[in-house]
Amino acid sequence: MKRVFGLLCGVVVAFSAPQSGHAQNLILSQSEISAALSHGPWPLPKQDDPSNRMSGNAAAISLGKKLFSSKKLSADGTLNCASCHRPDAGFTDGVAQAMGHTRGDRNTQALYNLKYQRWFGWDGRNDNLWAQSLRPIVRVDEMALRTTDLSEVLTGEEFAAPYSALFGSPPQLSEQQNLVNVGKLLAAYIETLTTEKTPFDRFRDALAAGDEAAAAVYPEAAQRGFRIFAGKGKCNFCHTGALFSNGEFHDAGVPYFVAANRVDSGRHGGIKALMKNPYTLAGPYSDDPKKTGAWKTRQLIRSHNDFGTFRVPSLRNVGRTAPYMHNGSIATLEDVVHHYSNIDLERLHADGELILQPLHLTKRESADLVSFLLSLTEVDD
Amino acid sequence: MKFLPFVLLVAFAGQAQAQDLPLFDAHIHYSHDAVIQVPPEQAAKILREAGVTKALVSSSDDDGTQKLVAAAPEIVVPALRPYRRRGEIGSWMHDPTVIDYVEGRLARFEYKALGEFHAFGDDIETPVLQRMIALAKQHNLLLHAHSDADAVERIFKTWPDARVLWAHSGFDSPGKVRDMLRRHKQLWSDLAFRSDHASGKQVDEQWLAAFEEFPDRFMIGTDTFAPERWYYIKDHADYSRGWLASLPKPLAENIAYKNAEKMLGLLN
Repeated sequence: MKRVFGLLCGVVVAFSAPQSGHAQNLILSQSEISAALSHGPWPLPKQDDPSNRMSGNAAAISLGKKLFSSKKLSADGTLNCASCHRPDAGFTDGVAQAMGHTRGDRNTQALYNLKYQRWFGWDGRNDNLWAQSLRPIVRVDEMALRTTDLSEVLTGEEFAAPYSALFGSPPQLSEQQNLVNVGKLLAAYIETLTTEKTPFDRFRDALAAGDEAAAAVYPEAAQRGFRIFAGKGKCNFCHTGALFSNGEFHDAGVPYFVAANRVDSGRHGGIKALMKNPYTLAGPYSDDPKKTGAWKTRQLIRSHNDFGTFRVPSLRNVGRTAPYMHNGSIATLEDVVHHYSNIDLERLHADGELILQPLHLTKRESADLVSFLLSLTEVDD
Repeated sequence: MKFLPFVLLVAFAGQAQAQDLPLFDAHIHYSHDAVIQVPPEQAAKILREAGVTKALVSSSDDDGTQKLVAAAPEIVVPALRPYRRRGEIGSWMHDPTVIDYVEGRLARFEYKALGEFHAFGDDIETPVLQRMIALAKQHNLLLHAHSDADAVERIFKTWPDARVLWAHSGFDSPGKVRDMLRRHKQLWSDLAFRSDHASGKQVDEQWLAAFEEFPDRFMIGTDTFAPERWYYIKDHADYSRGWLASLPKPLAENIAYKNAEKMLGLLN
């Protein structure tokens, strides 16, 4: 017996009935399958960053990886990028707020799949990865290195030869140029940090191939969770596409006080910073003569709604990036689901995030949604 | 070069004028959670430092407004919001106990307005809304309505002599707002939580036409709908002064504070 699911995204998807030996069933409707297909394929096509001439350069990637782990990039030699972006912890740190030289206001974001992002950081104060990568080095609350000391670091035995081969002698370059170069080296390395296919991707691939037997291996609980994700939860309104993020900024109803008389203004402050930022795609440090992508910063329109909004994070490997939200205030995925299921409308403007409504999920529905979210995480071999 | 000092003086004077422009913020809330997280003295300090000389304040519940009146009596113009918590936004019109609350507060305190309240379309026909409009009439209060055009029409049908401040200008288009202002002489429009009328210091053409046709009807507002947004008041004031500076001075002053003062009868 054949079940034909119809034309989905230009592909006729036909499935055989579940075969014996498969414990699960394919329970999604045609429209739900169509929604699932919109979250792939994965991985996305490889793409280098034209604003960074080190992008994809093997020598730069190697040097970037060394710099990522070098404590010489911090003022007192105690911190490196990996202090917060721990490779053994999903390139985040597992704590609510990052701890540099002082405790920060925000949760450390994982570094996976960043080359596909449009904006960087929770507030999007950078429009490219190399600018975002140089920022922690000089911020006083993070690694706090003085740019005047950077040339000395780069002329040290560990970095001098490979750095000079790529850029020339550090003392011959301006402090800012050396800083940008280090940002580009780090970015070249970080671009290589991509996630592999997940159980959801294999499910989606099977759907796209019309292989119902393979699709039916995907747990029913995760399928039911996806049904909520793309159905009444409307989670896919913001968590779109293969990255499970629209890359933009929203109010998720999370308080954003950081002290008794101080708030984290989120995207509002991010845009302010971006407007003064010399390291944008439109700026003089971009290596791209065509200034590809610079339009996005030029065309920014500020809104009162920017205040207290934060970038929608990708959900890939979400099972490894606890705690959650911009300030790490929610400990577990179960708690995140509870937060949205019981969203406090008092925190949202009546004409703001209209998509957010309390779902009042049952215990099983919540568990199903968590099952789906966990299926977006790589499975170790 | 000999004219340079004069040019600089004029330029500086213009800038100083823009920075000093008093603002009447016609859309401030100071609700139960804000009272805890931004104590009254701190809230008053924020308003003063932003150069907000007057503010139409309504809160869920009203205790916040009363506390702010005590902390900044020279600034706060109290409005009575018919909510005990913000969560009542979508249900209050079906809850007769709201009227008990409103009547109780009206008996105890002085107000200049009822609102900001949320009501759309035929919500206005509910007994709760009809009674509230009657109370506004009885106490000579402005109605601060977060409403669609239909609801605004129904308010004026219920009480033709009502004075209505249309919150957020109904999030409607400048053309529709102009149409409504033409139809109703006692309708004013606040620009709170909308960003389409000005980008940076550049005023949108269609909105400019609206401001020019109705120079005495528009006013600004921050809308502190969550406690954290108290820390947006200063930025909002800066933004407002920025685009107001591009308007002719009399029009800028009207929108900045004079229209709200006249609307609320604060001028002698």
